[in-house]
Amino acid sequence: MSNPVTIIMIEDDEGHARLIERNIRRSGVNNEIIPFTSGTAALNYLFGTDGTGLNHKGSALLILLDLNLPDTTGIDILKRVKENKYLKTTPVVVLTTTDDSHEIKRCYELGCNVYITKPVNYESFANAIRQLGLFFSVIQVPPAAI
Amino acid sequence: MTADTQRKRAMGHVLLLGAGLLVLTVISAASVYLVNMAREDARKVVRTLEVENQISLVQLQLRRAESAQRGYLATLRPDFQADFEQAMTELAPSLTRLSQLISDNPVQRRLIDEMMPLYDQRVEEFRTTMELARSQRMSDAAKIVREGIGRDTMKHLEDLAVRMRAEEDRLFVERTTNADRSQTLAASITGIGSGLVVVLAGIAILLVRRSSHARDLADARLRDSHLNLEATIDERTADLREANDEIQRFAYIVSHDLRSPLVNIMGFTSELEELRGDIFKRIAALSRAQSEAPPAPENATDTAEPALEGADKQLSQDFSEALGFIKSSIGKMDRLISAILNLTREGRREFEPVWIDTRELIEAIVTTVAHQAAEAQAEIRIDALPNIVSDRLALEQIFSNLIDNALKYLKTGVPGEISVRGRTKLGFAIFEISDNGRGIDPKDHQRIFDLFRRAGTQDKPGQGIGLAHVRALVRRLGGTMAVSSELHQGSTFTITLPINWPAGNRKTRT
Repeated sequence: MSNPVTIIMIEDDEGHARLIERNIRRSGVNNEIIPFTSGTAALNYLFGTDGTGLNHKGSALLILLDLNLPDTTGIDILKRVKENKYLKTTPVVVLTTTDDSHEIKRCYELGCNVYITKPVNYESFANAIRQLGLFFSVIQVPPAAI
Repeated sequence: MTADTQRKRAMGHVLLLGAGLLVLTVISAASVYLVNMAREDARKVVRTLEVENQISLVQLQLRRAESAQRGYLATLRPDFQADFEQAMTELAPSLTRLSQLISDNPVQRRLIDEMMPLYDQRVEEFRTTMELARSQRMSDAAKIVREGIGRDTMKHLEDLAVRMRAEEDRLFVERTTNADRSQTLAASITGIGSGLVVVLAGIAILLVRRSSHARDLADARLRDSHLNLEATIDERTADLREANDEIQRFAYIVSHDLRSPLVNIMGFTSELEELRGDIFKRIAALSRAQSEAPPAPENATDTAEPALEGADKQLSQDFSEALGFIKSSIGKMDRLISAILNLTREGRREFEPVWIDTRELIEAIVTTVAHQAAEAQAEIRIDALPNIVSDRLALEQIFSNLIDNALKYLKTGVPGEISVRGRTKLGFAIFEISDNGRGIDPKDHQRIFDLFRRAGTQDKPGQGIGLAHVRALVRRLGGTMAVSSELHQGSTFTITLPINWPAGNRKTRT
């Protein structure tokens, strides 16, 4: 990627996080990946201590989001990110086990950019993540600013 | 109101009615009896009068006979004799009548018995004197008359008559009193009876009013409890719906959460598999280096399985086998979880009742399975089917599952015969899908409808979901489902669905 985009990975399952990271790396994406295992920690990082998201002004972020989190739901995080004036341009990739059509529709309505269902079949999974990595390498991420 | 008081009230009504009837009967009977008695008394009074009259008549006739005799004795004129004879002829029936009238009274009978010979004697005397007079023996006749025997007899007769009259007078007074008493009694009985009837009627009115009041109360209570019941039913329905939703949510969440670790297991197993390749490649390289064998060109055999020997080869095979089992189990588990997810998703889908041409629907299904049918040499026959109002997708799933099953479990080597029949009964459409396939053991009839359960030889792929799903759908459509089958004798699945399934009788979560 041209500018240093930071990938924020919000995934409560450490195994999933590891597999995702590994496969992203395998596709040749070397950007910094910051993993969070809980929604609260991720929100604290994203919105800072003042809760405005001002600290990320000007930085390029990409969010990988799982919907089933123990403390908050991914939907809430998505909503808050897309409502924040600094973060709303940040691309959000929802990567989750849920393949319920209502859920998918709701995520896109809230402004999610890509919705991917985690396949149990590992080949498909690895493939999907590698494709995502390729996607990351060509995607243009605007800096988080107005 | 308790059943006891109700019974008591009913008993009270019956008793009241009985009492009323009894009183009326008694009054009627008493009235009839008393009226009869009064009439009898009146008749007796009349008879008394008649007796007195008859006594006078007898005396009159006797006196008339006497005066005729005297006249004849004095003048010997024949018209006196005629007079006498006439008096005689009238005297006899009068006497008979008198004795008849008083035949029931012993006192009077004794008197008349006493009287009878005196009369005869007296008449005899009259005749004798008149006979003597006619034969010109006036002195003898006068002598008889002068002797005064006749007067004594006459006096005696007068006495008797007076006694008889006195007796009759006594009877008259007694009978008049009796008649009066009977009439008074009749009047008072009627009066008392009427009073009683009025009192009973009053009590009856009171009771009827009270029981109608009670009925109104019970009516109101019934209405209340009816309303309560409806509220309770609504409440229970809501509870059930909530519980059902809860189960759906539960199944959904569980299957989701089960899937998450499965991704890890599968992922890291695959990672392990890759590691295995690397490990055994290194082992092969190391063992070759140890045996001082000529080093193989590394780049040429990079992807190929390294040649292993002896114990190392065994190890590699065991490793592969273990990984294979893990992966196939994960695959199976994933399919099961997907099945549960699909079922819960079906359970949450909202049904939309539309008018369905059932025959057309089943013909479409048959077209999609035509290839399988040709492979199994099976013929699918569709009879006349009733059209119904129901959910199209659900119906498609029901029939295609059943026809699929029928095709899947045919007897090998026997051409399949599958038929779909239909009929209607009491607002329900009954569909029967029968085949000549391998059949189902009766002990498995319940089991085949359970989730993930199958019966018979397990030689066909499947998860054991189809029938569970079909039955769930049929139930949601307000119908029932049954199977009749014997092993090796084919099976018949019977589905009963309401012809006109109303929309929205089951709210589903969206």
